[in-house]
Amino acid sequence: MARYILRRLISVIPTLIGVTFVIFMFQRLIPGDPAVAMLGEHAAPENIARIREQLGLNRPLFLDRDSLVQGDLGGFFDSQYVRYLSRLVKLDLGNSIHRRIPVAETLGLRFPATVELALLSMLIAIFVGIPVGIISAARRNSLIDGVSMMGSLVGVSMPIFWLGLMEIMLFAVILGWLPTGGRLSTGVQIQSITGLYLVDSLLTWNIPGFVDALKHIIMPAIALATIPMAIIARMTRSSMLDVMQEDYIRTATAKGLAERVVLFRHALKNAFLPVITIIGIQAGTLMAGAVLTETIFSWPGIGKWVYDAILGRDYPIVQGGTLLIAIIFVFFNLLVDISYAFLDPRIHYD
Amino acid sequence: MAEITPQDLFVTDFAVREHRSLWVDAWRRLISSNTARLGLFIVTVFVASATLAHFFWTYDAKTDLDYALKLKPPNLRPTEEISTIHPFGTDKLGRDIFRRTVHGGWNSLRVGLVAVTISLVIGVLLGLLAGFYESMEITQGERVLLQGLVGLSLGGIIAWIGAQWVIALLFGLLGVLSIVFGKFLAGKPVRIALFALGGLLIGGGIGLLGAPMVGLVCGLLGAVLGAILASPLTGTFFSNVVMRAMDIILAFPSYLLAIAIVAFLGPGLEKGMIAIGVVGIPIYARLARSAVLSVAQKEYILAAYSVGEGHDRIIFRHIFPNILSPIIIQATMGLAGAILSAAALGFLGLGAIPPTPEWGAMLGDSYKYLSSGAWWAVLFPGLAIMFSVLGFNLLGDGLRDALDPKLRV
Amino acid sequence: MTPLMDLKNLRVRFHTDEGMVKAVNGVSYAMEPGEILGVVGESGCGKSVHALSIMRLIQTPPGKIESGQVIFNDRDLLKLSESEMRHVRGREIAMIFQDPMTSLNPVYTVGFQIVEALKLHKGLDEKAARERAAELLTLVGIPGARQRLDDYPHQFSGGMRQRAMIAMALSCEPQLLIADEPTTALDVTIQAQIVDLVIRLQQELGMAVMWITHDLGVVAEMAYKINVMYAGYIIERGQVRDIYKKTRHPYTIGLLGSLPRIDEPPGTKLVSIPGLPPDLLALPTGCPFYARCTYRVERCLEENPSLEEADGVEHTVACWRWEHIAGRVSS
Repeated sequence: MARYILRRLISVIPTLIGVTFVIFMFQRLIPGDPAVAMLGEHAAPENIARIREQLGLNRPLFLDRDSLVQGDLGGFFDSQYVRYLSRLVKLDLGNSIHRRIPVAETLGLRFPATVELALLSMLIAIFVGIPVGIISAARRNSLIDGVSMMGSLVGVSMPIFWLGLMEIMLFAVILGWLPTGGRLSTGVQIQSITGLYLVDSLLTWNIPGFVDALKHIIMPAIALATIPMAIIARMTRSSMLDVMQEDYIRTATAKGLAERVVLFRHALKNAFLPVITIIGIQAGTLMAGAVLTETIFSWPGIGKWVYDAILGRDYPIVQGGTLLIAIIFVFFNLLVDISYAFLDPRIHYD
Repeated sequence: MAEITPQDLFVTDFAVREHRSLWVDAWRRLISSNTARLGLFIVTVFVASATLAHFFWTYDAKTDLDYALKLKPPNLRPTEEISTIHPFGTDKLGRDIFRRTVHGGWNSLRVGLVAVTISLVIGVLLGLLAGFYESMEITQGERVLLQGLVGLSLGGIIAWIGAQWVIALLFGLLGVLSIVFGKFLAGKPVRIALFALGGLLIGGGIGLLGAPMVGLVCGLLGAVLGAILASPLTGTFFSNVVMRAMDIILAFPSYLLAIAIVAFLGPGLEKGMIAIGVVGIPIYARLARSAVLSVAQKEYILAAYSVGEGHDRIIFRHIFPNILSPIIIQATMGLAGAILSAAALGFLGLGAIPPTPEWGAMLGDSYKYLSSGAWWAVLFPGLAIMFSVLGFNLLGDGLRDALDPKLRV
Repeated sequence: MTPLMDLKNLRVRFHTDEGMVKAVNGVSYAMEPGEILGVVGESGCGKSVHALSIMRLIQTPPGKIESGQVIFNDRDLLKLSESEMRHVRGREIAMIFQDPMTSLNPVYTVGFQIVEALKLHKGLDEKAARERAAELLTLVGIPGARQRLDDYPHQFSGGMRQRAMIAMALSCEPQLLIADEPTTALDVTIQAQIVDLVIRLQQELGMAVMWITHDLGVVAEMAYKINVMYAGYIIERGQVRDIYKKTRHPYTIGLLGSLPRIDEPPGTKLVSIPGLPPDLLALPTGCPFYARCTYRVERCLEENPSLEEADGVEHTVACWRWEHIAGRVSS
């Protein structure tokens, strides 16, 4: 088991190198001079020079061919790519172009907000999606099945930013029950422990704070949860249906087990593998969905920051945010793979 | 009851029921399902309205501007204040939202089709080849081609360092030779040593013409390269390279990558199409590969082999038709996904450049007016996105049931 | 002596897109306690479906038990509630299936799956149930049973899995064991071992066994009586020696004729039955075997014969012309 997990961990390394490489190469996609693209054509020459220096644009991407021909190999260690990698190792993601603050620091500050939103969404998605899927499978072709499957198809077809807007229109503008955006009302204070307001407010038994935080998070969380919820429900259903065709389910029934036991003990554990995979993928996708949802709800997380950076052409922020989300995504897929080892005895550990 | 003769009985007993082709059968199953019919209907309305509007309902986005009609709610008949009909209301520039929504459909359709075509063609081709080479022994000719290409591309890197294009060609040749003569050279270690030496001589010799240091580096790289080339290159190698590359693309949540790519490329509908298309490649590649791998084990492929059919014929005549169904289903669902991604890009201001009508961009333009009560500017483009995506999803779902009878009970 | 199980006019239908499949068409027979019954027929003749119907394991929809009675221990199983039926399954009637590779749950250990049944029906605690499970595995001939309890099904070979299935089925000492083609998916040598095992266990435990197969050779060795099924009907039923020596139905003759015999002179041709069984979507009004029958007359086309006595009570046959058909063609 330990060897299997170790092998999975090692197999992540080339993927991570590939991811950093792709993100590094983003810079090359910028048409023309990146420094000019960031600051605009009318920027002061000294500012442009500063950006060029910061991004290391005056150095070769990988290897300077001319200096190589002259026998100077040292240039490679001063190339953009190597500098980029060595900075990454030191968790240095560069500075924001416009605000001149380190990207990694701000990412760290804004990360808890995104995590709180993503976590709550995932919990909603799992705790609604899986039961709906099981009920639909157990009562196949019933009215409940039809309604929930049609509903889930509408769910995956919904642009989440539009769903968010519709929520705001209904609950904030028309009904006035919930705030249109933000994370807390002005004046409400929550002592920060974990950075997750819902948790912190409960830890400090700050009920008004908890209620206010909940009021703010519930709409974005539901908007963000819709697609994963629908996908998880559909996957659970089809996976359960597949498993319920299996011979061993008939064996279990023939043993005299109750339908409930057959369903939850014998079918669910087998049906869970594809569902776990989907949950892993959705967890990563959720982080990406945060870009849209946070924008709509002015949620002060990474997504909103990346959106602002896209508009402001603050490329180091976009690179840093993308990298963080991609790494989380890879990490979740790794978790899924490892959880397989615990769920499926047929997996070979060597 | 009419008289039954023995002959009649024979007919009903032995003649297998009416012969139907696979596709006719699938079509019947498709239209017998309510959800699939609904999907087909929505898709038809969407495609027809978008196409007809594009060709027969002229609209010049650049001149469409009327501040007098700014943010008017929907009206179905002319009033004293507004003499024109705006069933969906008007936006912040006084443009008719209905008109822009219908015309926006054309752009969504275009993005969807182009993006899916990009990912489908490249992905399926890569997946077919990867799966095929992985599951079967590759022939001598293909090995020469493959190894030659590997040699050429690896040699290209060295050539780029040494500024000598000749090197690339020579390494390509070395790759080919390693296969052609590989068999005649005794023993694997000897062969590897010989080719490493060849690589050292080629790389180092030509590199030396430029500079001594470069000669050394090129020589060392050449030796490594020669060793790689001399070891027998199997189909799995090619497949591994392709699928590893796919894994890296898949390491990003799909539309985040598209957003990031376009964020750096700069906004534009065409760039969006390409980005969404590229991001979608791995899904098709994986699908095609796994389909090939499962089909390749089947007896009918062995049968085709045993009668001496060539690889190209086996891929396109036997394997391709058998993996068509999952790809058709994925492509339909992919259209839905591409329309959604394009809308997200548009919403973030990374898709169509204003004033081009595009659903996502229309939402992005108008959502700030939501708090001032202009719900219509947000509701209708969003509904258009939702219904067109839902249509393709329903159709894809129906197609899955129709094309994959195994899944039915 | 009252029979252990009395099947009366069992009819099973499947509603499919193509139409209604008449899988079982009025099957009636009785089984004595401790009897070994062979049920033979081609695939699709309704032999498995009728067995699954006894256990009420037919998927509904598309399947439906239209009518009939399954009197088991003096009550009609088809009228029991689902929770009452659960007490019958596993405890009074147990079943083993064709494919041992897929019939065990891959994510639970073999021991867990046997213990589960013991806890449910015998009310044993975990420790006693494990003890019993190990005994059962030893009984079915799995060496090192105690260690193997914690193995997963994929660590067992096909034959061992079928033994484990039998152990699971026997765990609660059922009065009837239904074996649905339990050896079809196994190697020939393993087949013989499993057959021997079941015969031995039947003698030791005294339960009744229904052995479903398409292989007449297998049941000849073990069974006391045989039901020959065709197109959802029992077309001939009797004691093994009667079926073999005094075959009365043309279909049974065909089945026997397609079986190679060791006492035949070399070079004797095997007889095969021409054609295919009828379409269960559109059964003919007359005898279902009409189209393939070499003895048919006009009457066979119009009227479907029902089972009637031939050669005494124990041997029944559904053929208008059984009197003209006597014994095996070869002997």
